Amino acid sequence: MTMIEVKDLSKVYGSGETKVIALDSVNLTIEQGQFVAVMGPSGCGKSTLLHLIGGLDRPTTGTVTVEGKDISKMSDTTLTELRRRKMGFIFQFYNLIPVLDAVENTALPLILDGVKPETARIKAKEWLTRNKLEDRGSHRPDELSGGQQQRVAISRAMVADPVIVLADEPTGNLDSRSGDEIASVLRKIVSDWGRTVLMVTHDPRIAAYADRIIFLKDGRIVDDALLSGDNGDNAKRLKEKVEAL
Amino acid sequence: MSVRHALLGLLAQQPRYGYELCAGFTALAGGRENWDVKPAQIYTTLSRMTDSGLVTLANGKNDNSLEKPLYSITLVGMEELMNWFRDSVLEEPHQDAFYLKLMLSLELDEVDAVRLIQIQRTALFQELHRITELRQSLDPQQQLAQILLMDKAVMHLEADVRWLDMIESRLEEVQHQPPPKPYLRPRGRPPSQ
Amino acid sequence: MRIQILLAWRYLLGRKQRMALTTLAVVFGVTLLFGMNAMIPAMMEAFRHNMVTAAGKVDISISGDSNNPFDEASLDALKDIGGISHSTGLLQKNVLLPESLGGTTDPIAGASAVTVTGLDIPTAQSVRNFQIKEGRFLEAADGSETVISQLLADKMSLTVGDTLSIPSSDGIEKLTVVGILSLSASAGLDEIFVPLATSQRILNLPDKINTIDILIRSDADRLTVENEILSKLGPNFKSGPVEVGNELASALIMGESMMWLFGIMALAMASFIIFNTFRTVIAERRRDLGMLRAIGASKRTVMGLILTESLIQGVVGTALGLMFGYLMCLGLLASFGPMLQSFMRVSVGGPVITTANLVGSILLGIGFTVGSGYFPARSAMKITPLEALRPSLGAAEFRKNKRRALWGLAMVAASVFGLVIGELNVAALSTLVFLAGLIMIAPVMVKPVADTFGKLISLVYAREGRLAQGNLARQPGRAAITASSMMIGLAICIAMIGMITSILNGFIGYLDKSLGTDYLLMPSSLVLGGGNLGANQGLIDRIRNTDGVEAATSLRLAASQTKGAALQMIGIDPEVYPQISGLAFSNGDPATAYPALANGRSIIVNGMFATSAAIKTGDVLTLKTPQGDQVYNVVGVAFDYLNAKIATGYISQANLATDFNASSDVLLLVNRKTNSNNSAVLSALKAIAKDFPAFSLIDSTEFKNEQINMFKQAMSTLYVLVVMLALPGLIAMANTMSINIIERTREIGMLRAVGTTQTQVKRMVFAESLLLSALGTTMGILVGLFLSYLLLKALIFIGFTVDFFFPATGILMSVAVGLTFGIIAAMVPARTAARTVIVEALRYE
Repeated sequence: MTMIEVKDLSKVYGSGETKVIALDSVNLTIEQGQFVAVMGPSGCGKSTLLHLIGGLDRPTTGTVTVEGKDISKMSDTTLTELRRRKMGFIFQFYNLIPVLDAVENTALPLILDGVKPETARIKAKEWLTRNKLEDRGSHRPDELSGGQQQRVAISRAMVADPVIVLADEPTGNLDSRSGDEIASVLRKIVSDWGRTVLMVTHDPRIAAYADRIIFLKDGRIVDDALLSGDNGDNAKRLKEKVEAL
Repeated sequence: MSVRHALLGLLAQQPRYGYELCAGFTALAGGRENWDVKPAQIYTTLSRMTDSGLVTLANGKNDNSLEKPLYSITLVGMEELMNWFRDSVLEEPHQDAFYLKLMLSLELDEVDAVRLIQIQRTALFQELHRITELRQSLDPQQQLAQILLMDKAVMHLEADVRWLDMIESRLEEVQHQPPPKPYLRPRGRPPSQ
Repeated sequence: MRIQILLAWRYLLGRKQRMALTTLAVVFGVTLLFGMNAMIPAMMEAFRHNMVTAAGKVDISISGDSNNPFDEASLDALKDIGGISHSTGLLQKNVLLPESLGGTTDPIAGASAVTVTGLDIPTAQSVRNFQIKEGRFLEAADGSETVISQLLADKMSLTVGDTLSIPSSDGIEKLTVVGILSLSASAGLDEIFVPLATSQRILNLPDKINTIDILIRSDADRLTVENEILSKLGPNFKSGPVEVGNELASALIMGESMMWLFGIMALAMASFIIFNTFRTVIAERRRDLGMLRAIGASKRTVMGLILTESLIQGVVGTALGLMFGYLMCLGLLASFGPMLQSFMRVSVGGPVITTANLVGSILLGIGFTVGSGYFPARSAMKITPLEALRPSLGAAEFRKNKRRALWGLAMVAASVFGLVIGELNVAALSTLVFLAGLIMIAPVMVKPVADTFGKLISLVYAREGRLAQGNLARQPGRAAITASSMMIGLAICIAMIGMITSILNGFIGYLDKSLGTDYLLMPSSLVLGGGNLGANQGLIDRIRNTDGVEAATSLRLAASQTKGAALQMIGIDPEVYPQISGLAFSNGDPATAYPALANGRSIIVNGMFATSAAIKTGDVLTLKTPQGDQVYNVVGVAFDYLNAKIATGYISQANLATDFNASSDVLLLVNRKTNSNNSAVLSALKAIAKDFPAFSLIDSTEFKNEQINMFKQAMSTLYVLVVMLALPGLIAMANTMSINIIERTREIGMLRAVGTTQTQVKRMVFAESLLLSALGTTMGILVGLFLSYLLLKALIFIGFTVDFFFPATGILMSVAVGLTFGIIAAMVPARTAARTVIVEALRYE
């Protein structure tokens, strides 16, 4: 099933001499349950793509369709609701509320959605436990390590049962070991929970956890590589590519 | 050369049969998918080592015996093994097949260097993905040695991917420079000044 | 709603220090607003009282219908009348002094009669101002003690400690002189004051009084109060003449409008302090808000969060502010009260809490807190959540600043226009608009000012100075906000000081011009009216012939009517008068006006008359004279100090003689030769004055000083208000500075990490603070000067003309205060910053 469909998506910042084309007619389809990494040199528009798919920003032209609904034309209220119920966000700097503890931070999307605080807390604790943070529930972000904070952030992203999880350089601020931890948690979100994950990263090692890598350069998709599947399949694809030369 | 020394190392522990050595090597190397050595190669190596006196047959040199040969290490073999341990291992990263491919593609109109890079990168990523999954499936409590081996592979692949990125970003510069020319030894007398 | 409360509560508790400082800003604002406005009625009362009593006036004087004494108990009837500020009962009667008791029919040698006034000691001083020159005033325990006027003391050669015997209903009453009243006190020529009971005994009128003097509240309507009094007292009472002149009334209005201006300034400052602090907090929260939006918080939810948070702080801050405001007011009144009591003999009441002030303070306190959270948060909401997640862009801020500065300029221009219009309400609003406009301009001023002063600081601390300079230039908005709080505080103070100095100097200027002579020979009443006996040419001739006298001139008096109103005519010598004394011109040119008086029928009118009759230079006036109507040309508008309060016209003495048959001198102005001996001339003149008992000789320097002192005291109430306004403003700046440092904990941690020493960090913070206060002071001075000028212009329309006087001392003080506070404000933050634990600071978000 197609989860995300991006058509002729462009994003232009500024105008005149300071005009920057961040995305240039990007077309992309992402299936449900796929773990997709977006790679490319800095400034290639990978974060912009993520933000547009997440409804955090509006495209200049083109459409983004999530679960068959065009989000580029949605009102702010509808979009906000969509973000709250269907999407989970993970940021490079975790962006946890510094004055809330881990459980409260995790429960935030549920509470925002009007779920009873007790219920929300229970669900939040479940997710923290899944991410091996059961004994850190009452800790504030500044009492947690970077990896732990990011795991709280993942718990927060997952707590409202979103269909899509968007991660913007989730390991960019972490050492390689914590990075691996985070990546394997994301991997599990796809493998065990069947969610669709779209992750921006510049770390090949982290990208290798994904099923598919999209390479962006200067706002365009330059390559789209499928990593998973059996080797024979891959070899066939490789052969097709060679023949395309 | 390493297969030879690995067999010597296994024999240094205790005398072994040929099939034991095959299985022992595979386990040591981290599985068949890691380093696939055919039994024939093992036996060839063993017979060569027997000939050069590094290994001897413990149950006598009985060519037509039905009994399977039991190999054991000789003093010379032990000496050789110790020498191997003393030396450091240096691979040769500058001998790169892809490099040759790429350099040749620059000179051939029929092949697109960028595409070449992309194909190579996809292959590297597929391999990286495979190893990552493999590594994920290992239990750190029991199989740390194998995990460390996987990590080596991951790191090398990562380095290769980064190297590809670097090539890609500087490809144009390379194309604008003169291609590596063979150094032809001048024949005859040098032209007079 | 739950989430908002949870988050708001957690944010508040999570950043205790900042919450405390933010709430403190609200507390300051409300304290200022509420305290000032609770104090203003009391101060206004004091001011009015001061002005009225200084002029020797009361608002209403009640006496028996047939001038008969009445029961003291009548006073009780007045207790419930709200419009009365103070009242006192008097018993006043003339008593003839027989020769045996030192009385004499020869007015040169002494007095033949004295006016005995019985005073209710506790209340008397609250209605009238008794300036003691020697000894003391009457006290509650006094019986046969008396305080007498200086003129009587001179005539009868009495000093403190002497006994004055007067006839009484049971023989002779021996009174001990305990005090002598100064010249300017509201004492008649031969008046003696005794305790009320004593006067009742002397006159055999137990429990009786014959006059009630009343001061009304500044906000009460005189006529309403008068009618209320008369209806309460019953039919047998009448109200005496209205004693407060129009000129005084307009001075009162001016003083009271100034008080209101203070109130408005307090409001402006309070709102700014709150707004300022809250803006900083919201700016810091941008990223968190962006994240909340990203994970699905609606705009309304986020708005609600901010509103809840600011509401909590607003409510807590306002409650505390009201409390502190009341305490501040109470404390100030209690500490200034005795001072006012002893120097001005004014009892200042307690804080006055009007419903308007209370409701206004609560609304403004909470409203501003919520508002100043709401608007920045709303602007943060308008942008996409993504932009909130990104670090803000410096360039964008700069462009916005420019646009804002243009708006600010427009606002300043509009407010200048508003001030020039001259409506008090418009002027007050314009003042607020002016300040708001300046705050918007401030960011673009940061860089040039920081560059200029940065160079100075770099001379002392080269590296730290440059760092500090860079810090400011990088964040012009933040720097401007911090400096603005100081700017506003100083500007308001300078404006106020400027205005007060201008008024004071204007007043002294009048005095100097009107009393520019060395000696005055005055009739017994200071104000010329009231049919004093004049002197013929003999007196002035004798004075002119006295050794050491350089010149003398006289004023002559007549009465006239024009346009249905009474006009007091004063005859001057157009040639001599300007040389010795002079009129203060508000319209017309002295160089042509005086000569014009000598030629034909010309008149100079005073401002009092010019304003009420709408007369200006060049108009013609038809005056009623004993010879029939005469037409005079108005050649100028000017006045002298003594006659400022009465509609007066000045004409030549020749015309006065021809048209009004008046040729006797009622006031003589005498100048001494510069090298002559003061005491010799004084005693020579005294000898001459003895032959003219209607005149008293006055050394004008002494007289002038007394008058100035009195006026200064009246103005000192205003200074108290200035201090009250300035202090919280400066404390607020220290507060802003602290928040500023907290905000930059991370940055400072980084500086420490890369090897900045504690001393250097400290210096950097100091340098920054000094730069900020330099910026604030510079802007404050400019704005303050401008503001005070505009305020004075606005005052003109209220009916008071003063020249702008450059408040040099005020500016010097401001510079000193500004820099001192810059340093003080930086002390705590600098220490905090220097002690920053690097690792923690780097983790701080």
